[in-house]
Amino acid sequence: MVKKMFVLTAALSGILLISGCSQKKTVSEVDMTSKSRDVFAMDTFMNMKAYGSSADIALSEAEKRILQLEEVLSVTRDTSDIWAVDHSEGSEIEVSDDTAIIIKRAIEMGDRTHGSLDITLYPVLKEWGFTTGDYKVPDDKKLQGLLREVDYKKVNIQGNTVKLPKSTEIDLGALAKGYTGDEIMRTMEENGVSSAIVSLGGNVQALGTKPDGSKWKVSVRDPFAPDTDMCIIEINDKAVITSGNYERYFTADDGTVYWHILDPEDGYPADNGLVSVTVIGDCGLDCDALSTALFVAGYDGAKELLETDPSFELILVTDDRKIYYSEGIADSFTNISGMEAEVISLD
Amino acid sequence: MTKGVKVLIGAVIIIFAAAVVLAVIGLKPSESTWVDIVQNNKVIYHLDLSEEDDRTFRVDFPDGGWNDIQIKDGRISIVDSDCPDHTCIKTGELRSENIPIVCLPHKLVIRFSDEGAGE
Repeated sequence: MVKKMFVLTAALSGILLISGCSQKKTVSEVDMTSKSRDVFAMDTFMNMKAYGSSADIALSEAEKRILQLEEVLSVTRDTSDIWAVDHSEGSEIEVSDDTAIIIKRAIEMGDRTHGSLDITLYPVLKEWGFTTGDYKVPDDKKLQGLLREVDYKKVNIQGNTVKLPKSTEIDLGALAKGYTGDEIMRTMEENGVSSAIVSLGGNVQALGTKPDGSKWKVSVRDPFAPDTDMCIIEINDKAVITSGNYERYFTADDGTVYWHILDPEDGYPADNGLVSVTVIGDCGLDCDALSTALFVAGYDGAKELLETDPSFELILVTDDRKIYYSEGIADSFTNISGMEAEVISLD
Repeated sequence: MTKGVKVLIGAVIIIFAAAVVLAVIGLKPSESTWVDIVQNNKVIYHLDLSEEDDRTFRVDFPDGGWNDIQIKDGRISIVDSDCPDHTCIKTGELRSENIPIVCLPHKLVIRFSDEGAGE
């Protein structure tokens, strides 16, 4: 009897042992060979990875598309659409389809988020030095003067014709990378790739699933320790775009920290309780615009978005070190930080 | 307590302990020790950090500029550079598979290489 029990127990433990820790991947016939490409553009590091036999061509085409977009969207190149608009002295400027699409969406997103996204903040951003790295806290009078010219409703666009008041300037920095992600995905598909993932300065966008059908694992940075990951989510065919106060900031002489996401309301760094906003959705352009806008709008603004548009998923980090995520990603969300994480409760 | 029961209990304890140990090992994230140092899409070094001696070496950027890369106790970092922003140095040691060390002006990237690559 005892012997029998021993054999049985040993066998059971053995089964546990096998099922508990060896998850060997079975070698399938799926083509898992991937090609990777680094692109240094738009002031950031981009990495693209594509699977399948046409990966090389698709990556080259995607790289061309990135450089082409940089050429028209850059705010500092004197050959770009944006430069032309910003130096138009109030006259009408014809822009490319890409620029027109982004400006129109920026205005829509401005309306939708009650002005939390404002592409005319550029002169204020310059005054803070966030565009050059020569950081300084602006003089209050100067700031008030600049703010008078800030209002995205002053941007007039009909078809591809843009007209701006003389002292207003725009910058598509809050949307350009998101749009670029969408265009990379489109270029990949057009070139026969059905499985690809790109990281554009921390923003991730995926095409399809991995070749073996499993989802992509995407990590989001810990805003309190930006060189470590905070959580992992599993996605396919989605953009995962984060705006955080750790991306660009400086510490003033008095110890105050100022970051680059400004509140159009007062021209100061947006400080409405959130330190990181991640937006997950189908369209990179929308996610990019919303991540900035919701950072400005704060927790309640983010909640409002979820209530009105269930097509987006969110991961928010508050300044008191808590993670809030939307219910739709509850199954694919893994918290690997020391922070508490809870689902955003909707009314 | 018979001898049989003692053996049984002993065996169960040993097997359970072994299972726990193996499960813990299995749960540990598979951290590659292989890294690639990539300059403008060209892999210039493919190293197994667990095998490399501690040292610091310079990588020159063909268009001008340099980065000093340090390997110490199986960890890699950029410790000095003549780039203007020093973002690469501030990144510190390479830790995450998702967060490479990048020097934008010198088109230099240090990252963990794909599983099995070069092995």
